[in-house]
Amino acid sequence: MKFKTDEVIGLEVHVELNTLTKLFCSCPTRGSSEPNTLTCDVCLGLPGSKPVLNKKAVDYALRLCMALNSDIDKELIFSRKTYFYPDMSKNYQITQYDRPIGVGGHLQLPDGTKIGLERVHIEEDPAALMHPGGMHKSNSVLVDYNRSGRPLLEIVTKPEITSAAQARDFLKALITVLQYLQIFDISDGTIKADANVSIKASGYTRAEIKNISGFKEIEKALMYELLRQKEALLQGQKIVQQTRSWDSETGITQSLRTKESEDDYGYILDPDLTITELTDDWQKTIKETLPELHHDREKRYKKEFNLSSDDAKVLTQDYNLSEFFEKLTKEVDPILAAKWARRELARVLNYNKLDFSDIKFDHTHFSKLLILLEQKKITETVAQKILEQLVVKPFDVEHYVQKHGLKMVSDSNQLELWAAKAIDDNPKTVEEYAKGKEQAFNFLMGQVMRQSKGAASPQEVRQILKKLLK
Amino acid sequence: MKMRIDEYIEKVQNGKVDMVLKTKKVLAEIKKINKEYHYFNVICEDLALEQAKTLKKNAKSKRLAGLFISVKDCINVKDVESTAGSRILKGYKPLFNATAVQRVIDEGAIIIGKTSQDEFGFGSFATNVGLGYKTPLNPVDKKRVCGGSSGGSGGISKLASFEHVSLGESTGGSIVAPASFCGVIGFCPTYGRVSRYGLIDYGNSLDKIGAMGTNPEAVALVQEVISGHDQKDSTSLEVPTVDYAEYLEKSIKGFKIGVIEESMGKGVDVQVMEALNQTIKKLEFIGAKVKKISLKQITDYAVPTYYILATTEASTNLAKYCGMRYGAHEKLEGSFNDYFSTVRSKHLGEEAKRRIMLGSFARMAGYRDAYYIKAQQSRQLMVKEYQKAFKDYDLLLCPTMPVIPPTFNEAKKLTPLQNYMMDVMTAGPNLAGLPHASIPLIEHKGLPIGMMFIADQLKEEKLFQLIGALQQDEVQN
Repeated sequence: MKFKTDEVIGLEVHVELNTLTKLFCSCPTRGSSEPNTLTCDVCLGLPGSKPVLNKKAVDYALRLCMALNSDIDKELIFSRKTYFYPDMSKNYQITQYDRPIGVGGHLQLPDGTKIGLERVHIEEDPAALMHPGGMHKSNSVLVDYNRSGRPLLEIVTKPEITSAAQARDFLKALITVLQYLQIFDISDGTIKADANVSIKASGYTRAEIKNISGFKEIEKALMYELLRQKEALLQGQKIVQQTRSWDSETGITQSLRTKESEDDYGYILDPDLTITELTDDWQKTIKETLPELHHDREKRYKKEFNLSSDDAKVLTQDYNLSEFFEKLTKEVDPILAAKWARRELARVLNYNKLDFSDIKFDHTHFSKLLILLEQKKITETVAQKILEQLVVKPFDVEHYVQKHGLKMVSDSNQLELWAAKAIDDNPKTVEEYAKGKEQAFNFLMGQVMRQSKGAASPQEVRQILKKLLK
Repeated sequence: MKMRIDEYIEKVQNGKVDMVLKTKKVLAEIKKINKEYHYFNVICEDLALEQAKTLKKNAKSKRLAGLFISVKDCINVKDVESTAGSRILKGYKPLFNATAVQRVIDEGAIIIGKTSQDEFGFGSFATNVGLGYKTPLNPVDKKRVCGGSSGGSGGISKLASFEHVSLGESTGGSIVAPASFCGVIGFCPTYGRVSRYGLIDYGNSLDKIGAMGTNPEAVALVQEVISGHDQKDSTSLEVPTVDYAEYLEKSIKGFKIGVIEESMGKGVDVQVMEALNQTIKKLEFIGAKVKKISLKQITDYAVPTYYILATTEASTNLAKYCGMRYGAHEKLEGSFNDYFSTVRSKHLGEEAKRRIMLGSFARMAGYRDAYYIKAQQSRQLMVKEYQKAFKDYDLLLCPTMPVIPPTFNEAKKLTPLQNYMMDVMTAGPNLAGLPHASIPLIEHKGLPIGMMFIADQLKEEKLFQLIGALQQDEVQN
């Protein structure tokens, strides 16, 4: 066995492409939550219907293959994978078999690790099954064909992932690439995976976990399964090769079947579809119009905005954050924007246990805040406080500042009043300061700031206090 | 008595035919024929009358104005039950017309009904009809088979006293076989010439829609109208259409015709051999140069290759019929697997089940390479053998069927394999996607014997040229 690590994981990731129409018909992929309204004879598999390939999906697949350095086939060939299941409109799925569009390649994780890939292929999504009242309680299943025929890419890794955490990093990195390529919409596109999991202690006997939805779930399922295998061995049980399901409600995997060999789907070429040549011209066009990827963007940030390597890296690793930052740079100084987008925002999000994707405000709120700061109309302290509020619920920043009287105060009369009060109220501290205790001065500063609700200009308060305490 | 088809169409265009009255008469006639011969699974009276009424108002410039068209059951007609002759699709009314059907309707044709066939096209005699369907009888001798799978189309084409063409469908010979047994022209175009959109699939890489009838002009006209590129079918060819009727007037003087040597020997009825010899004489008389040509690979491998590829594709196509979305339903019981199995066991016929099993076997891991992949390779070799032949010949000739129409009793005694061997002449051009036609030239004691001519890719017009020349010869004699 070539494996060495304690844990070995391979992923088959399914990503929904954000094309406007489905893979083999012109039904929209989005637009209605009413079940079975985005359908036609093709995606319902009605007798007599014929599939016609959506070339946009091929464009998108080519983009991904290029970004992952996969070798691209000269011809695009589709096969029929036949099996009976209620979510299948034709009881076969149009997919790719022995000639995937992309072979090999790799994805680099933020820590530099490269995860090797087996293949990338295009296929159609089956319909969605709904269990009214929950999977276990429901005694009927409903089928929604709105999803049937949506374009998917399947990305299969080599078994080179060595922990559940690394699997999560892989998926995050993959999502980032997909977003940069503008072929995946994280807000309503789904990401699913099947995972092969094994541990050294069992001699790497594999369990395949099917159909895990969402990348947080994938990490959970992997953590559970690794633990299950280790526990089973400790209890003297034998690990057998099997297929398991992940139940996100209970948070456990369960055995579906043990199998000796591969499922037999009886693949044949789909005779309704002709071979599509992936010509050099086509590939060249895609290459030339490939959107900027994060490594290129990172370099650009350093060069164009003079950002530190660290800031440039962090800001580009999350596509949405990077897009957010790009918009800010149009309004405010990029260095300021970088500092606030990367550090202050991260601090507030961490404190509230939120992700960047959870925030409700958009860049206009944020840029207004930074403009006020840049123009010295509010203090950093006030800006931080406003940001904390914005994360909870967005509002008009200028109006808020006005309403709560948070405009930076540099009027020396007012500042002197506050400073005098701070000195009068704290004679002991003043005494300590006189004895040379620097901390005492900071305490008095804080008192002034508190009176001003953070709106006092710190530099001026400092000067006034120094003057009064002389 | 039928008039010349162009004269008839012109009369309809000019409003000189009472189409509603005429359509009523036609409907009465086919109902009467159907009681006796079972050529229709559905007669669409309402649709036909409605189309006749519409025609009253705007028939001008419609190229098929007033032409009556029957449609093989496997070709979708909107809102008319289309089952491909299978009980598993009972009740399925398509939401859309097949492109071929839409094109004839747009040109003013009147759809009269869906013709009977072997279930999903699975047969050469039209005796493998779906459960609960009636078997069409030979129009010349009711004790004999019609030929299949487009049996109903062949039969009604022979007996219709009115201006009529049928849309048939061929996967491995299903247009020319019934044409031969019923004594009509059966025309099968190059694969991809006519859109398959709306055709209920048998073997998608083989299926073709073509015209059948007794009137060469009408067949040529319909064949032209249904041809042409269609965006809804990815395998549809982007080539311009050809005025086939024009070619009916042209001489075939100097045509080189190759008689397929292997079709002249073992396993061919003496009557059929005699008919072939007479045909050769006729062809020479009208100025063709006839020579023998050997097509060994095709003769040896066409039938096994065809049955592997056609059943393989069919076994995936038929997977969707499971009683879930349309067609036959059963009481919901057990798991989905139990339910699907119940529906399929109960409503698919024996031959359909046989072909699903054969086809599934040929594509399973471990057998796939030996059967499915091998058959793909064999198909390529056949295409090459034909390509070579067409360097020297305009057309190839052989009998359409190796036998005269068998009686139902004779047909019943054949094993499945003997049945499959009936396709020995027709499997080749179907695998290679070549245009071919069966022409009724000779009769033996009143029983028709068709001769099959094969042309090179997209050379349909040569077949019409030949049909025209032979017809003129008949008229002169």
